[in-house]
Formats: sequence, structure tokens, C-alpha cells
Amino acid sequence: MNQRRVGFALLLVVAAVVLQTTVFAPGRIYPWGYGPLPVIIVVIGASRYLEPETTVALGFTAGLLMDLLGGEWLGLWAGALTTVAYVGLRLVDEADEGALSLIVGVGALSVLAITLFVLAGTLFGRQLLSRNNVALLILVPSLYNVVIALPTLALTKKLMKGRQTPWSAR
Amino acid sequence: MRRFDRSTSLFMILLFLSFLLATVDVRSSESGAGDSLRSLAQAAFTPLQKATDTVTRPIVGFIDGVANLAALRDENERLRADLRDAERRIQDAAALEARVRELEAMLNIDVPGDFATVTASIFAQGATGFDHVRIIDKGSADGIVVGQAVIDENGLVGRIDLVNAQSARVILITDPSVSVGVKVVTTNESGWTSGQGFGPLTLTMYRATRPVVEGDGLVTQGGRFPPNIRVGTVRNTATLKAGFQLVTEVDATADFGRLGLVKVIVGFSPLDVIEEPAGPQAPPITVPTQEPVGVEQ
Repeated sequence: MNQRRVGFALLLVVAAVVLQTTVFAPGRIYPWGYGPLPVIIVVIGASRYLEPETTVALGFTAGLLMDLLGGEWLGLWAGALTTVAYVGLRLVDEADEGALSLIVGVGALSVLAITLFVLAGTLFGRQLLSRNNVALLILVPSLYNVVIALPTLALTKKLMKGRQTPWSAR
Repeated sequence: MRRFDRSTSLFMILLFLSFLLATVDVRSSESGAGDSLRSLAQAAFTPLQKATDTVTRPIVGFIDGVANLAALRDENERLRADLRDAERRIQDAAALEARVRELEAMLNIDVPGDFATVTASIFAQGATGFDHVRIIDKGSADGIVVGQAVIDENGLVGRIDLVNAQSARVILITDPSVSVGVKVVTTNESGWTSGQGFGPLTLTMYRATRPVVEGDGLVTQGGRFPPNIRVGTVRNTATLKAGFQLVTEVDATADFGRLGLVKVIVGFSPLDVIEEPAGPQAPPITVPTQEPVGVEQ
């Protein structure tokens, strides 16, 4: 395992979490009351260049960070992003490198992540599903993720590719 | 294939661990074990968040300014109109102040001094739109403790629910887990508001003898929050249903989308230290306090 690539992936996750809690926040870049969730894109992007086990662990770590800096129960985002990392791995094997595939993948996996979070939160009594804007809370950040997907994935690729061939291409 | 098998096993283990974490966090919410972890994480991220906030604030401000030029022009016009209105109100208020002083003297009400406050700046929010929390740049080193009320120039914002040395977390009154004991200014009848996560707050009153009317102001009743802080205005007129319960919507006075500077009321000790029951439908635990007095904001 390339320790440097894992280090870069963790660095990107931390950077995404910091951006998510500061720049993409109310009063900043937060159009119509919603912000993107770049952590999800980083997890998806990193899955192309990390070992499968590392990718799943990265998803869990990223989710746990979001849980720790969020206001809901611990483990909800961890479970959601672990699932996204795992599903992302499966898709990486099938999908081509085209921009359209990447964008569709990011959109679909973002919807999956937030939906899983909402369902798990509701299961643990947080009534997330009954919030009156729950559909927008799922769809709008996913749409924003699609908008910022290409630059974020390009940055991820720049940092991680070239240091080692993607595992899926070996 | 074998690699996928290993990743599948790890996926199952981590998924199980996630549910275990959530269960433990729910179970230990009274003891605050999860909050200790959150506090540690927030303390670790505070320097990064503050640095990012400082570096990006001018850039984001510029982008925001360009994107909102039209809105700023409208805002300017509105502020001019507000200023004219305010000048007229000041004249009215001066007369009213004199009248209030007379009445207070007559009733021999002991008006305490202002509650001590600490001004803080918001530099981060929760990780997602589901989190109705903000992070402020003052912590236990500045006298902030869990439970203290947070206000801005418009009224009640929330309360402190997590503190470390250099920062603290404010849970907003829009969070479904937060209930605020309130009274209607015009009728003095009490109830409580609870957040819905988005949009207006919900006002619930039991055994109200009079209806609430659109535009009625609500202020804190005392107990967990200092008394007489503006909370919101009634959005829809409502009466008692089945002679028992009154429920309606309330527009919060604070603008949660534009929070920048807030004040933490450190000179007031919440009378009840018992955690509120979870869930938006549960009534707040409030303890009757002294006769409400004005709070300078």
C-alpha cells in the first residue's frame, strides 16, 4: 500500500470537512439555504486510486469526522459513507473514465449517502425523515456535488494519480 | 475477486461498527461520552476552521457581494425606509420609556442590571444542512459553559451545548430537539416553541384561555433561558383545539442564515439543569422564575 496516497486521501478528506463547515456554510457560499458535501466526492474520487479495503476504511473515517463535527448521533454518516465507498468501488470497476459517468456517479452516490443518513437517523429516533424539507436536503446538496464534482475529482486525480497505477487498472 | 471479498468483510464490520457507535451514543447521551469525543474533535479542528475562515472570508465576501448586487440595492432602499421609520419610532419610544419608568416605580419592581454577555463570532457550522449548530470562537476560557443562552440583535438564537477551551457549539432553536418556554407578550399566557429543522417554529400551548393572533410577539418565559428575550412572532392566528391544545407556527426573530456575531449570556444561570426530553413534541422543563424583567440586548 502506498502510504503517501493514503496520506493524501486523508488530507483531502480533512480539507473537504473544513471547507464544508466553513466556506459552504450559512452566510457564505450557501445558495438557497443549502451547501454541497465535498467529502462525499473525495471518498468517491479516492476510491479510484486506493486499495478496496483502504477505500472502505477511508469512507468510514470521513463519515466519522462528519459525525464528530455534526449534531446528530455518531455513526450515522460513518455508516452512510462506508456504504458509498463500498458501492463506489463496485461502480469504479464498471464505469468508464468519462466526465458524464463521473458526474452521474457522484450525483447518484450523493443521493444514496444522504438518504442512508436520513434513514439511519430516523431509525435512531432523530425524525430526520419527517422534516418538511427532507427532499430538498437530499437533492439540492447532491446537485451541488454534481456541480463541483469535476474540479474536485480533478484535484483528487492530480494528487493521487501518477504515484501509482489505479488498482482497478492493474 | 479475493480482494473484493476482503473489502466486503471490512465493509460489513465497519457498517456494524457504525450502528454500534450510534447505539452507544444514544444510550450514553445522558452521560455525555459522545459529547466528549465531539468536543475533542471540535478542539482539533478549531484552528483549521478559524484559519480557513480568516483566509476565505474576503474572497467569499467578494463573491457573495457580486452575486448579490441587485439584492444589495434593494436592501439599501429598504434600510433607508427603515431608518426613516426608526427615527419616528425613537421619538415615540422616548415617551414610552418615561412612562415605563413611572410604572416601574409605582409597582416597585426591582429591575436587575444587564446580564453579563460575551460577544463571539461564528466561524463554522455543523457538517451538513441537517445540523442546526454553529461554532463560535469563544470557549470555556472566556467563561462559556453548557446551557448558556445565545442571542443576536434580533432575539434568541440558541444555547450552548458543547464547549472546549477555545470554541463552543451553539444548538439553534430551529433544531427539533430544542424547546423554548415562551409567553405571548399580549396575553402573558405560556407555551413552548420547538424547531422543525427548517422554516417556522411550532408553538404549542395547553389550556390557553385566549387565542394567539398573527403578529403576536413571543418572549422567553425564564427557566432555561433568561426571561423576556424575543423569540418570534406568531405567523397564523390559532385557537384552542378541542378545548385543550393550541398549535400554530411562529417566525423566529433571529435570521439564522445571516448569523455573524452573537452574544452569549454568561451572567445568567439556567434554573433547570435537567436535559430536555428528546423529541419535538415534548414540552420543555421550565421552572417558574421571578417576575419577568427586561433584558438589554
